[in-house]
Amino acid sequence: MICLSSSDMHLLWAEKYRPKSLDDIVNQEDIVVRLKKFVEEKNVPHMLFTGPPGTGKTTAALAFAHDLYGESYQQYILEMNASDERGIDDIRTKVKEFARARVVGSVPFKLIILDEADNMTSDAQQALRRMMENFTATSRFILIANYGSKIIEPIQSRAALFRFVPLSKELVVQRLKWIASKEKVEYDERALEVIYEICEGDMRRAINLLQSSSAIGKVTVDAVYKVMGLAHPKEIREMVENALEGKFDVARERLRKLMIEYGLSGVDIIKQVHREIFSPEIQLSEEQRVLIADYTGEILYRMVEGADDEIQMSSFLAWLVLLGRRTSQE
Amino acid sequence: MPESSYIPWIIKYRPKSLSDYINQEEAKTILLNWLKAWDKGSPAKRAVLLYGPPGVGKTSLVEAISKEMNCEVIETNASDFRRREDIEKRIKPAATKMSLSGKKRLILIDEVDGLSGTADKGGIETMLELTSITKHPIIMTANNPFHPDLKPLRDASLLIELKKLNQRDVVKLLKGICEKEKIFCEDEALKIIHTKNEGDLRASINDLQNLGLSFGKVTASLVNELIYYRDREVNPFDTLRNIFTSKYAWQSKLAVSHSQVDIDTLIEWLSENIPVQLTEPEDMYLAFQALSRADIYRGRMKRTQNYDLLTYISEMVGPAISLSRKKTKFKWIKYEFPKKIRMMSETKKARESLNKAAAKIAKVTHCSRETVKSEYIPMLRALYKVNKTLATQIMEGLKLEEDEIKVIVGKSKESTENTEPSSTGPMNAEESLRKFETSTKKMGTRARKKRSQ
Repeated sequence: MICLSSSDMHLLWAEKYRPKSLDDIVNQEDIVVRLKKFVEEKNVPHMLFTGPPGTGKTTAALAFAHDLYGESYQQYILEMNASDERGIDDIRTKVKEFARARVVGSVPFKLIILDEADNMTSDAQQALRRMMENFTATSRFILIANYGSKIIEPIQSRAALFRFVPLSKELVVQRLKWIASKEKVEYDERALEVIYEICEGDMRRAINLLQSSSAIGKVTVDAVYKVMGLAHPKEIREMVENALEGKFDVARERLRKLMIEYGLSGVDIIKQVHREIFSPEIQLSEEQRVLIADYTGEILYRMVEGADDEIQMSSFLAWLVLLGRRTSQE
Repeated sequence: MPESSYIPWIIKYRPKSLSDYINQEEAKTILLNWLKAWDKGSPAKRAVLLYGPPGVGKTSLVEAISKEMNCEVIETNASDFRRREDIEKRIKPAATKMSLSGKKRLILIDEVDGLSGTADKGGIETMLELTSITKHPIIMTANNPFHPDLKPLRDASLLIELKKLNQRDVVKLLKGICEKEKIFCEDEALKIIHTKNEGDLRASINDLQNLGLSFGKVTASLVNELIYYRDREVNPFDTLRNIFTSKYAWQSKLAVSHSQVDIDTLIEWLSENIPVQLTEPEDMYLAFQALSRADIYRGRMKRTQNYDLLTYISEMVGPAISLSRKKTKFKWIKYEFPKKIRMMSETKKARESLNKAAAKIAKVTHCSRETVKSEYIPMLRALYKVNKTLATQIMEGLKLEEDEIKVIVGKSKESTENTEPSSTGPMNAEESLRKFETSTKKMGTRARKKRSQ
């Protein structure tokens, strides 16, 4: 665990202003009420938090731990991210080791927070289910997932389910204003609305965008778009345009730059392509937009099934070349 | 067509007894004598290393002998994992205990030269140990027994060589098959098949079946036109050419099965060169669709460990791509070494730095490394462009080191200066072949399953 000293701590606003206690959480009221009840009783079932990114799932889990164990809560929790662990065996080893040591204090169990649990295969989830049963005496699990439907039923039925919903525009803008005032940053009202529109209900992205826009000076609509443009590699749009012009080689060169140098996954790229194609800045007929949207969905699916994102992305580019050719012939 | 025609002829016409087994009289005698010696207790060497080029009947000889002597065969080949634990679990008990039925037992370790250093860790040492404690005869086979790694096994074994098969016997045998299958054949055609396969009987029978079933006859002109010279393992340049020029599915399947590089590497080669060869967008699209299907089967195979899927991958990689060429005329072009493999090795350091940075940021921000790469790193990169001081401050606050910061802001020497020119610049064929040989050695060949049949 990296611990920053308090002076230079949390230069990233998303961390600096992450609610520490359940009391600080402004949205998801029903969930907060139920979690507070568990804190009071010092008794917790296994829990499953589901909802889109940036809606407060991880924050709620950490705040819950904070309220349950107090300031030194770190020693009572094991935080893991299923996407970063190499396999269920690694997870099992870590859980075993963590659960083995006795719990001191008033709460008779420890917390295991497993983020992005929906990225686990169903076999791994079966193994996880057994772990949840075996370690119940000493530990409780909080599983976090974007899609509850990707969690196998036996786990769903063993856990208390909490559904997180995207934050409303009002809440996001309000929070951004509050952060801006704390950081003594000037802003245009409209710029904050634009940030919301770009990030929808994803609070983390919204705060990140606010912070990077403010690095230019006053947060204006222009500043927001400027940093957005800088953050999103221009290669993505250029790649699509090159392919549509029939320049497969150039398009693939860009693809490889994105994947190998920037370290983006194929899934990241195809999702950004999907966002790009509805932007007015890219020259496409309305029909093309829909066709591409449909096909990005297909490629997304194939990447989940396949072994190598780059092969699937190359086949996407080949499809774009063909689409470009057909349109120009019409 | 009768059902039997779907059985590979090399299985259908496998020698059923020692008398069916042609050539190799000398090897046969030595092996039989050694096996008979076991009746009087263990001989000095308890293992035999049977070696010779592919398709001369190493495995068939063991099968024929075991039938003749009525013994059971415990077999393991290159498609099994053969690490220390695997051998100790599967082979050791069979070798050191007597069989329940009291039947004679033979241990067959096929393709020992296929033992892979990493995938089959400790395999050779364990095998060596077995040769001194076994209670049953052990027969190992290899194409090349003179590999340095095999030295200890070689010393512990009786070496028996199988020679390339002579033309007269091969032609006679092929002719016999044609008679049974009621297929017209010219003697000349069978001779060419033998020559092109350099005495490899298995490959010869495969060719005979392919032509026989496709055309109902085997003539010299067909053989000359359609059967490749087989220097067994075909380098990727020729494999690609063979795939792109195949007219028949079986031709293309053969091209894939004779590839020197494993299927994963072959997919990279195809991905690189499809757009170069298939210049018509329709054809390129179809070929990439095939590659996409192949990759999906590959993903499923890796996840489920179901190696039956391998054949579907080969069929998408071979025939499906061959048949994609509908509009493009075949042109002789110089194929390129897969740039991706090169870029991966050239950017290795930069990618490591990026991963280290992502891991640090992931801990602080409570999200996955992937989320960091798609959200925080682009944000920091943007921030750096508009406000260097602030961005640097934040990155230092995150305890990122110099190399990690460099790679985030896109100033890594490795990633900006090296990859651009090299990924566009051409490479001569010799250099690329050399590079490719070293890279494929590293990539491992576990996926290269039993391809002989």
